[in-house]
Amino acid sequence: MASVSEMYDVGWEEMRDKLRKWREDNCRNSEQIVDVGEELISEHASKLGDDIWIIYEQVMIAALDCSRDDLALTCLQELRKQFPDSHRVKRLSGMRLEALERYDEANKHYDAILQDDPTNTVTRKRKISILKAQGKGTEAIRELNEYLEQFVGDQEAWHELSELYINEHDYGKAAFCLEELMMTNPHNHLYCEQYAEVKYTQGGLENLELSRKYFAQALRLNNRNMRALFGLYMSASHIAASPKVSAKVKKDNMKYAAWAATQINRAYKVSHRTIVISPQTSMRALLERV
Amino acid sequence: MGEVELSCRAYVKMYLHACLFPRCSINGLLLSSSPAGGPVCVTDCVPLLHSHLSLAPITQLALTQVDVWCSQTQQRIVGYYQANACVSDSNPTPCALKIADKISEQFDNAVLLMLDGSKMSSDYRVPPIVMYERKDSKWLLKDKHTIMLRQWEETRAIAGQMLESGDHALLVDFDSHLDDITKDWTNQKLNTKIAELASPANGNI
Repeated sequence: MASVSEMYDVGWEEMRDKLRKWREDNCRNSEQIVDVGEELISEHASKLGDDIWIIYEQVMIAALDCSRDDLALTCLQELRKQFPDSHRVKRLSGMRLEALERYDEANKHYDAILQDDPTNTVTRKRKISILKAQGKGTEAIRELNEYLEQFVGDQEAWHELSELYINEHDYGKAAFCLEELMMTNPHNHLYCEQYAEVKYTQGGLENLELSRKYFAQALRLNNRNMRALFGLYMSASHIAASPKVSAKVKKDNMKYAAWAATQINRAYKVSHRTIVISPQTSMRALLERV
Repeated sequence: MGEVELSCRAYVKMYLHACLFPRCSINGLLLSSSPAGGPVCVTDCVPLLHSHLSLAPITQLALTQVDVWCSQTQQRIVGYYQANACVSDSNPTPCALKIADKISEQFDNAVLLMLDGSKMSSDYRVPPIVMYERKDSKWLLKDKHTIMLRQWEETRAIAGQMLESGDHALLVDFDSHLDDITKDWTNQKLNTKIAELASPANGNI
């Protein structure tokens, strides 16, 4: 099979830089990382200097993600030789045990790290990941809540918690987590849109109106967010169709829905795809809430 | 209840959908282009989501869009499939049951199909699927012998081959379509590829 450098006509420097970019962007494109990283390590290790250690770590984690235990072990052994007493390398050993589903041993590794260093947040989060992998959603939620009481600014943790709550169908608490995220990241259109989706799912007139407002906010922050556009159309249509609203609210929401429908049709026209958004037919279908 | 037949095209796309997002729960709709009455023939599927399966707006939107497409192409929604992120858990989630209930309101013999992640390795011999049918408002496990996959060996070979050659990256689900609306969630390109790989002697895929 052709090597990466042959297939894409790149030199080792470009491969190294690509790996760095993926590290910085926190991408989980593990198959690519394994392809590029494995070749870089086996053919150009001597040229990488001190970068090699962080590349070993990156490739090791990607290898675990692709069930490449052979490659993961190679990287891990190099790191153990170089950093024999490191907590960071010990955590990587734990991750390998997780990948092999040897959860009890992995937990022992993590507990040992936390005895030495109770503030090691990454290790605490690994323990929560184990609970998640074992399907223990409620326990993972409990541990994560405890974690967040101490480390209240951890955005990744808040987002993980919102996902766990959504999985358990606890939409009220998921909304609370997303509210925390929106407060600290007011320009992030994705949090607004996810919050709107949760509110829509909760249902009821008040939640629908909130969901419409947040879909609209997401659109203000990013006018290309199609989910927000569709969400605005659907929430406004539902409100307009509700027997509990005043004539003015009905009229306003029909206007919002019509505006959204026009934007949707325009977007699809530009992309040469067909979509059917006609107020009458779709509204009837939409009234049957899932 | 009756027999259910799963076509090569439907199975391969479901399989590739699960392989494209191995770390997520995924779901989709099962379609049939066969006339009503007689055994249920699942001839196609539409991959829907790989995130936030239980949130309502996108699911509702997808159901509406697929419904409209079906009426334009003489197909019907006859079932629902899901694969859970947790490989050891192939039980239907509450949202799976809800959507399947919704589908059975429009189609009596609707099927609920769960992909069994633990049986999806390359050396699996039997289809990694578990099917449920509705009896007295409950979803019960269907007798394995009433589920038919014609030309199973060939279907399995096609699915494996397409995975090997990276064709699963061509699959578009509704989620991906919303990220880039130029992408085709009816997956015509993939359908053509599957048809090409199926043996010419087999007229009925």
